[in-house]
Amino acid sequence: MSNNKDIMRAEDFSFTYPGAPAPTLKSINLPIEKNKITALIGPSGCGKSTLLRAFNRIHDLYPGLKYDGKLLLQKQDGTMENILELKSESDLVRLRQRVGMIFQKPTPFPMSIYENVAYGLKLSGVKSKSELEGRVEEALKGAAIWDEVKDRMKDSAMGMSGGQQQRLCIARAVALKPDVLLFDEPTSALDPISTGAIEELVAELKSEVSIAIVTHNMQQASRLSDYTAFMYLGDLIEYNKTKKIFMNPDEKLTEDYITGRFG
Amino acid sequence: MKKRLTINKIILALSTLSALIGMGFLFWILGTLMYKGLATMHWDIFTKDLVNGGIRNLLVGQFVMAIIATVIAVPLGVMAGIYLREYNSDGKISFVIRNLSDIMMSAPSIVIGVFVYALYVDRVGHFGGWGGIIALAIMMLPIIVSTTDNMLSLVPKELREAGIALGGSKHKIILQIVLKAAKIGLTTGILLSFARIVGETAPLLFTSSNSQFFTLNLNDQFPSLTVSIYNLATYPDQASKDLAWAASFVLTVVVLVINLGGRYLTRNRKK
Repeated sequence: MSNNKDIMRAEDFSFTYPGAPAPTLKSINLPIEKNKITALIGPSGCGKSTLLRAFNRIHDLYPGLKYDGKLLLQKQDGTMENILELKSESDLVRLRQRVGMIFQKPTPFPMSIYENVAYGLKLSGVKSKSELEGRVEEALKGAAIWDEVKDRMKDSAMGMSGGQQQRLCIARAVALKPDVLLFDEPTSALDPISTGAIEELVAELKSEVSIAIVTHNMQQASRLSDYTAFMYLGDLIEYNKTKKIFMNPDEKLTEDYITGRFG
Repeated sequence: MKKRLTINKIILALSTLSALIGMGFLFWILGTLMYKGLATMHWDIFTKDLVNGGIRNLLVGQFVMAIIATVIAVPLGVMAGIYLREYNSDGKISFVIRNLSDIMMSAPSIVIGVFVYALYVDRVGHFGGWGGIIALAIMMLPIIVSTTDNMLSLVPKELREAGIALGGSKHKIILQIVLKAAKIGLTTGILLSFARIVGETAPLLFTSSNSQFFTLNLNDQFPSLTVSIYNLATYPDQASKDLAWAASFVLTVVVLVINLGGRYLTRNRKK
């Protein structure tokens, strides 16, 4: 399984929440392929969000959790680095600049639209004003929201619609030119039209970044993704090409879930 | 069914009555203050010091002490609140500090005055503005701590996660995003606690004491509006009593305006 195709890979990865008697994720083996979209599906509580949130170690905000196994991220030179070994805050900051995240609820910062996108860039050390402006514009164009906001860059981001806020959050993440973007149910708080816009955007982003997306929406997974992983009760049941998972899954459990017999 | 409706009516009547009684007293106080205060109000009282029958030095003194106390208490309190909410929310130390802070909030203000008297005034050997400032800052501190704690708890954790996910370090996200998101609530809390301390008498009685003259020397006895009201009201002559009414009216208006300002901010928090 070891090859350059995988930008990230979980190897025998287990995760235990603080105070929990048993691990929430049990020995997961899952690749995230370069410039592909990998969907994580499964019933609530199966651990798909937990897994996604481990990929940029956002869990580390809360003390007392336990990782086992390996989570690998491909370095610039093509070798794999175990991100579970990162210890210092500055290493984690660098990891999160490479592996971005979009949340279920849009999370604009309480500042202007421009500042929202520029904020991450400033954090990463971009200082020159002209470079900032250029990259903000580029990111907003990349997130297909430039035309809607170019005349009100100084307005507060809190005044935008939910769908716009979510695309702004994507722009904010894209601005850092990450290698991987993690989407945690990015459309479940949005109306169908905004959802469509986000899906279109995610599909376009694939040429630049590798994407992992958690979704409760079967159609979304089948429309968007190249690969699908089905999880159940902390185990990875089946991982394969999306077509195969949806047309002819190997596991009975997968078939039952996809056809709506449970979940 | 009928019984329930009757009970309902009785309760409604009783609570309306209670509300009316409460409001009645409030308006009685405000009405008396306006009547007596406005009657004796004269432009002169704002330009003359107490020694000449005005309250200029008192107003300045009261505000100087309250503002410096705020400048001391706010940064300390906000930092303590950040520690409680962002760094050790469920820890044992935080549990203890939160409880102590709550107790301090309800401590009788005269006790804080005595405390500062014993700790500061008695040591330096004289009353002074600094004593008053310390007492007021101590009064304000627990209010600011708990306001910060509460306002930060209202900031959704997703906002912190989003900041972290964008490559921010924890302290940067707290200072640049979380505090910003809680800004209106914090400002309101600071305004309300300022309104609270600017009208205090007991912590000042034997710390800053009072002065008839205009001074900005904080090592001297310091002019105080509230302590003056306390003194003037007990003097036998009518002129002192009138001045006490006028001063009370001014103080009430100031506190009311600050309070309304704070509430106005809260109401428009969504914007």
